[in-house]
Amino acid sequence: MTAITADKVSFTSSMYTGRIAHIRNWAYLGLLAGLAAMAMFAGDGYVEDNFVFQMFSLEGVKWMAGGTVVGMGYAFTTSASKFRAFRFSEILVPWFDGAVLMVALMGLYTLFEPSEAMITYEDQSNLFSGNVVMTMNVAMLFSALCYIAYLFAPDSFIGKLGTATAWIGVYAGGSALLLRWYESYLLMGGDIGHAPVSNLYEVFILLFCVICVIYLTLESRHNARGLGAFVMPIVAAGIFFAIWLESIGQSDIKPLVPALQSYWMKIHVPLNFVGYGSFAVACAAGMAWLFRNRLEESGSQSRLLAVFPSLKQLDNLAYKAVAIGFPAFTLATILGAAWAAEAWGGYWSWDPKETWALIVWLVYGAYLHARFSHGLQGKTLAWWAVLGFLVTIFCFVGVNMYLSGLHSYGQLT
Amino acid sequence: MQGKHGFGGEYARLKKPPSFFNVIFNLMWLCYATMSFYHHTLKPILNRVGSMPVAILLLVLLAVASVIGTVLKQNQDQVDYLHQFGPTWYWTFRSLGLFDMYHTWWFMTILGLLMFSLAACLLRNTPRFLQEMKQRKGTMNENARKHIEHKFDLSFDDKEKAISSIKTSLPDWKWMETKVGNVLWLRGDKGRFHKWGYITVHTAMLVILIGGWLSVQFGFRGNMAVPEGGKESEISFLKGTSTDYLKMPFEVRCDDFEINFFSTGAPSEFRSTLTILEDGKEMMTSDIIVNEPLYYKGVRIYQASFGDGGSEITLKLHRLNKTGNVDVGHARIYTVFKDPYSDVTLELKDFRPYNIENMAAAGEPKDFKDMGPSVDFVIRGKGLKPVLVRSFMEPFIANDQNQGSYLMISKTGDARDFETFLLGLDFSEPKEWELFQAFIRKIPAKAAASQEEAQQANLNAFRAALDEVYPDGRPDDLPMLGNRIIQSLKVLPDMPWPFVPVLEDYDQTYYTGLQLAKDPGMDVVWIGSGLLVGGLCIMFYVAHRKVWVKVLEEENGQVTLEVTGISNRNPIAFEQEFDDLEKQIKTAYEQGVKV
Ligand code: HEM
Repeated sequence: MTAITADKVSFTSSMYTGRIAHIRNWAYLGLLAGLAAMAMFAGDGYVEDNFVFQMFSLEGVKWMAGGTVVGMGYAFTTSASKFRAFRFSEILVPWFDGAVLMVALMGLYTLFEPSEAMITYEDQSNLFSGNVVMTMNVAMLFSALCYIAYLFAPDSFIGKLGTATAWIGVYAGGSALLLRWYESYLLMGGDIGHAPVSNLYEVFILLFCVICVIYLTLESRHNARGLGAFVMPIVAAGIFFAIWLESIGQSDIKPLVPALQSYWMKIHVPLNFVGYGSFAVACAAGMAWLFRNRLEESGSQSRLLAVFPSLKQLDNLAYKAVAIGFPAFTLATILGAAWAAEAWGGYWSWDPKETWALIVWLVYGAYLHARFSHGLQGKTLAWWAVLGFLVTIFCFVGVNMYLSGLHSYGQLT
Repeated sequence: MQGKHGFGGEYARLKKPPSFFNVIFNLMWLCYATMSFYHHTLKPILNRVGSMPVAILLLVLLAVASVIGTVLKQNQDQVDYLHQFGPTWYWTFRSLGLFDMYHTWWFMTILGLLMFSLAACLLRNTPRFLQEMKQRKGTMNENARKHIEHKFDLSFDDKEKAISSIKTSLPDWKWMETKVGNVLWLRGDKGRFHKWGYITVHTAMLVILIGGWLSVQFGFRGNMAVPEGGKESEISFLKGTSTDYLKMPFEVRCDDFEINFFSTGAPSEFRSTLTILEDGKEMMTSDIIVNEPLYYKGVRIYQASFGDGGSEITLKLHRLNKTGNVDVGHARIYTVFKDPYSDVTLELKDFRPYNIENMAAAGEPKDFKDMGPSVDFVIRGKGLKPVLVRSFMEPFIANDQNQGSYLMISKTGDARDFETFLLGLDFSEPKEWELFQAFIRKIPAKAAASQEEAQQANLNAFRAALDEVYPDGRPDDLPMLGNRIIQSLKVLPDMPWPFVPVLEDYDQTYYTGLQLAKDPGMDVVWIGSGLLVGGLCIMFYVAHRKVWVKVLEEENGQVTLEVTGISNRNPIAFEQEFDDLEKQIKTAYEQGVKV
């Protein structure tokens, strides 16, 4: 809406608003469509082992460029019409730009990669992505501290510092994963290369980034910086868990078992983490609600109250997070079923992971019913969001650790 | 009207044609009864079953049952369960069907009731929602307006322009005008189809459940094992606690099975080449790998597992008697080999062409090594304790030193309890057995006077044996050979068996483990899934926003617009949108004036 009223717009904001955003957005979408088309129709089709390299070969560039041009063409035909089309683009374009930045960062990191003689499958300690992950850990832990400090010193720049370091963490984490993808091809002559979403350690990094991105998006839209003091500690706890995983040797790049060698993995797993990540943010909002409620009930005059989003806002933020997560989680589960149908012969086999995904889904489905059909609000729902996330954690980590099943790839060995 | 049942029968017995009046009366009564049944019995039941508490109860039950099903491992061996829980709990759990819980009648009932509940809920709510979507009230009650958060008033000079600037400020909105007396009302709607989200989502779930039911009712899933070169047409599957079989309308022949490996020794690909035969005619041939099944006449064929398909094994039996003869025996895996010279039998269980083990100590970097081919068998015989044995073809090499051949022996018959048993001699080298025999023969029979004398005699015997077996010079690893002989002197005489069985040669055949499934409900489930995601997107991302504008004309020609807005979703965003609206209307009006 602002695009219409503003008279003068700066260059940066014009990149992200209106027609330019629209054209760029469709260029990106076209590029992705080009890649998908290459996977489906190009000479060799999709090859599990080296799609990454295919992408950056001349053939890949041709497909991507073709897709981009088609996408832009489409943008020109539609842009005349509606302002709604712009809004859709304005939401998506910053994400795409972020992805491009991550790819660029990853390219930069490859310059620091040790020579091939220095890395072996048996000893992966000097792969460069490890350093980048460490950077992510430091940035996110620091960000958690900043956000907590911000509650007590709302006027200082420390809140902005928290936001900035969280973003740094996101870019470090995301580009580290991309680098790890590349690195997996450096080991054992390239025959074990695969996307970095195959074990608990890798998906944890993904999860941190997703939580941060969802939170930061909500923060910038709804001016809710106080919530960071609840979101980032969750991430921090996860980071300690990931460091522990690393210390017991769970961070190695390992070959994929045949069942996981499928493009479905690259779709199913990240989408699931959009779900988990937003449930984490909802949990943080629930905790913040309970915390603020406690303060208010005790008649506290704490300055915290001024920094914090209001109860109503927190309630809404929790819902917003669930509203992002629930459809994503539903879609991820369905795609998981599609994959299962292809790999195991049945779309649903009551495998523990599947079943727990169903339980999580029921929990949040019930949350939505309670909210909209019973008009429940406030305390109950805040608790619901918190407890729902505990169920989610069990589905995510607990099932791998305690229950065995077809999803045993995530098992600690 | 001559049926035996119902109203017709009644009249037939009376043998009097029914009067016109009676027919009408009875029809009316029938109508009434139906309606009454609907209102007093069916509708309350529907309402109850389709009510939120019942739905939530069902969902909770489903969730709790699911938790039980994941904590209690499903479809394991009954013996394991008995072992784990003891007889009391075992029989309790078993009678509740907890070991195959997802197929029990009570679990199915929960799902059925959920379907019923969804259907009832849809039946009850859909008409109302459709009505609400159709009926748009053009006006807004003053009283109602008082309680609404989002509202503002604006005054303008020109009525027509004011109205058009509202409409240009909210492009894509659906507008409706209502005139009440002298007052004009505008009502705009955006996202009116939001309620379709609810209808779609709940219909989708019903569709998915129906699809699942179709799958269970009319589909099948089972396993078959086809040896390389063999054919099979029957699948087996678990039904409760027993196994059931089903014949396919075609045969599957496995032409080839192949495993590829990463250099860590982990398998990278399982590939079967299959041919489908119908009445002996070859219909199609295709390769399948995990993730890429074959589709034939509605049945999907998946790569699920593999195993030994009856490899042919050659064993060397080194007699532990005076003769020291070496016999060669041939047998296939899954058969029983009978020793012709004793009552001992070997029940051949499995063959593996490679055994990749991590040789590093715990905590050290991993060091993978292939221990070579092995064969598993159970040895039985009179007076023998049956044990599971794994015999290797190659000797055990540690630190480049030949430690001689070895067996793995499990006294419990469980592969987890294997213990390594070093035999001393390297049986892959026939001369060592000869040397051992020669040595034993040459050891003097009568007891020596002293320890030293005995040692000297043994040494002499060993030297003489070496001269006999290796006439052209001593072998290279003589010191290790000595150690091996000493080890075998320690263990071989104590072996309870009449011979030492060593794997000599093999001709390997795999079987490919296939899973065959027919799932007529699958497409229905996909349709439901698509609806579900689409419906959720409507539900979550389309808010139904409504704006009412009351256009009040005053006597001096001025108009006042009383604008009120409601959104059923996403209040924060709507607040912003609504605040912007005020500015937009003004700007649009001014720009309109300028032109
Ligand atoms: C199978 C599990 C079910 C799931 C996952 C589910 C999911 C949902 C979701 C996500 C909503 C959205 C809430 C909203 O945004 O308005 C909803 C609304 C609703 N559901 Fe369900 N539902 C289920 C079963 C049922 C059943 C069995 C009933 C029947 C009693 C029911 C009745 C309703 C009603 C009345 C609404 C409110 C619609 C509205 O206010 O717009 N649901 N459901």
